[in-house]
Amino acid sequence: MNDTPGHTPVESIMPKWVRGPQDFIGGLALMAIALFALWASSDLQGMRGFSFGAGTAPRMFGFLLLGLGAAVTAVGVLTEGAHLAKYHWRGPLFVSLAILSFAVTIRPMGMIFASMTSFLISACGTAETRWIETLIVGACLTAFCALLFPYALGLPLQLLPIFMIR
Amino acid sequence: MGDLFSNLGLGFGVVFNLVQWTPAFLGGASIPIPVNILLCLIGALVGTLVGVLPGIGTIATVAMLLPITFGLPPVGALIMLAGIYYGAQYGGSTTSILVNIPGEAGSVVTALDGFQMAKQGRAGPALAIAAIGSFFAGCVSTVLIAVLGAPLTKLALAFGPAEYFSLMVLGLIFAVVLAKGSVLKAIAMIVLGLLLSMVGSDIETGASRMAFNIPELADGLGFATVAMGLFGFAEIIRNLDVGGESDRELVQQKVTGLMPTKKDMIDSTPAILRGTVLGSILGILPGGGAVIASFAAYTLEKKMSKTPQKFGRGAIQGVAAPESANNAAAQTSFIPLLTLGIPPNAVMALMVGAMTIHGIVPGPQVMQKQPELVWGMIASMWVGNLMLLIINLPLVGIWVRLLRVPYRLMFPSIVIFCSIGIYSVNNAPVDVVLAGAFGLVGYWLIKHDFEPAPLLLGMVLGPLMEENLRRALLISRGDWSVFLTRPLSAVLMAIAAALLVLAVLPTLRKKRDEVFVESEN
Repeated sequence: MNDTPGHTPVESIMPKWVRGPQDFIGGLALMAIALFALWASSDLQGMRGFSFGAGTAPRMFGFLLLGLGAAVTAVGVLTEGAHLAKYHWRGPLFVSLAILSFAVTIRPMGMIFASMTSFLISACGTAETRWIETLIVGACLTAFCALLFPYALGLPLQLLPIFMIR
Repeated sequence: MGDLFSNLGLGFGVVFNLVQWTPAFLGGASIPIPVNILLCLIGALVGTLVGVLPGIGTIATVAMLLPITFGLPPVGALIMLAGIYYGAQYGGSTTSILVNIPGEAGSVVTALDGFQMAKQGRAGPALAIAAIGSFFAGCVSTVLIAVLGAPLTKLALAFGPAEYFSLMVLGLIFAVVLAKGSVLKAIAMIVLGLLLSMVGSDIETGASRMAFNIPELADGLGFATVAMGLFGFAEIIRNLDVGGESDRELVQQKVTGLMPTKKDMIDSTPAILRGTVLGSILGILPGGGAVIASFAAYTLEKKMSKTPQKFGRGAIQGVAAPESANNAAAQTSFIPLLTLGIPPNAVMALMVGAMTIHGIVPGPQVMQKQPELVWGMIASMWVGNLMLLIINLPLVGIWVRLLRVPYRLMFPSIVIFCSIGIYSVNNAPVDVVLAGAFGLVGYWLIKHDFEPAPLLLGMVLGPLMEENLRRALLISRGDWSVFLTRPLSAVLMAIAAALLVLAVLPTLRKKRDEVFVESEN
């Protein structure tokens, strides 16, 4: 694992005393989440006598996560561990874009437009995509969804863009 | 014993009720039609067909199909719902196994080994054993309900808040033990899940917590949203990585045998038996029982197994045990549902909603006042199970063929189905965005060797845990020792502690071994 060539550039960023960068970064991120949660729940009421306030449990879990995050970080410093895995940008970017585009277009543009665009955008996520095939399958899938969800299942999904309905 | 037969007899009498159908074209001759059985069959079929779409989980399926039953008489409607429920649940298990998208909390565990089996070309046996295990568990627990229904209700009533809290701690420890990697990281994931479950409105004071005035967050993060993000989207993103390519090829190339071999059956029989027993017992406990069941069964199998290293890498016991436990627990969870009115999970909560629509209010009276309904429903659960076996064993081949669809076409389709599925739950675009965000979070977690399954269990049990902790401490007037002084609670805590020690020990031993190896070198 350790001598895979893809891992070397990432490794060099880390100072030498970090022996398990994967755990080190993971633990730090958990601590950051915990601190964020503690800050976000700081305005909530705490204990009143021995009855819990709205903020007691979130704070409890927040501090717990802070401690655990610190422990994971410590493990990353003290013991030899895995290096950071290599991230790829293409898959995450296009799948996220596809999901985002679906969320943005479903209301104003209707389901047909939203699912077709989002299908095509997510297809960009891999270099294997063959466009003619993708277009045909995308169209068939959109038609299938357009029949299945609003008609067969009776869901209140609007198919066409708003401006075409009015 | 007399009770047993009269109760079951009443139930099956309702289910096998024949309606005389006298169509005009036969000129007065009538044909007896088992209407309720037909309803159950249709329900199971439709439930499976919708539930098997990747991204449309069990909850979404039942919610979508609920309106179909509105026009039917109460008994017929409930029987059809039972069919839909089982169909949807099995559909959810199918997607867990084939594409690693669990539809509900119970099938998260199935995905661990089921998906690995699918990767090794053994999706067929995994699907078949899930159906067989579920059916067996359903048969046993139906009889169990009839025999033990009343006495077990008393056990459930003996559970106070302190006991519930301890039970949930035990459940969370189960999740730690089943995790593959480091115990510390698994605990961290559980706590992260607990923290995420705090988002939304506080149950007691109604104060908005960590919701940042986003209206869609006021109800908290939905289970479906987080599950589809962490498992569905994250899995897709991970598969698109160059490293994942070889894994995918495996899924599509070799599919060896659709039915389980003799060895598979022998391997999984004890797992099914243990899963059934464990599931039946845990299902009776209201609250998290049914959710914990599948996790507990998996952990038990892993601990009992002579080859625990196979778990998480495609062990058939890892599919058989949680699926049986899940089903047994779903069945026996009807006891607290009908007697105390507490739904064990989101799907059952929907069932309660459906019952209420038909004028049946679950609670202590329903067993006395409407026995034909209660026993009819329990019997129909069994019939639903049977239908599932009949429908699904022949269909296994079709589901497995789905895996042959090239991934470049499969993954955009899953993205679409997931998006539509999540959107349709609340008609909220924000939910879709959140699921996408959790997809990225899940991708990050995978890259850092954190497991999403414990996180999800923490999220499901979080609110219940907080509620019971609050109550227990309020009753004990702030005295934390209550969890150890009450006998039942102390026993549960002791089991939890023992399990944790068991989970930590092997890793300690392994660390020591590593040290020895190094010093020898």
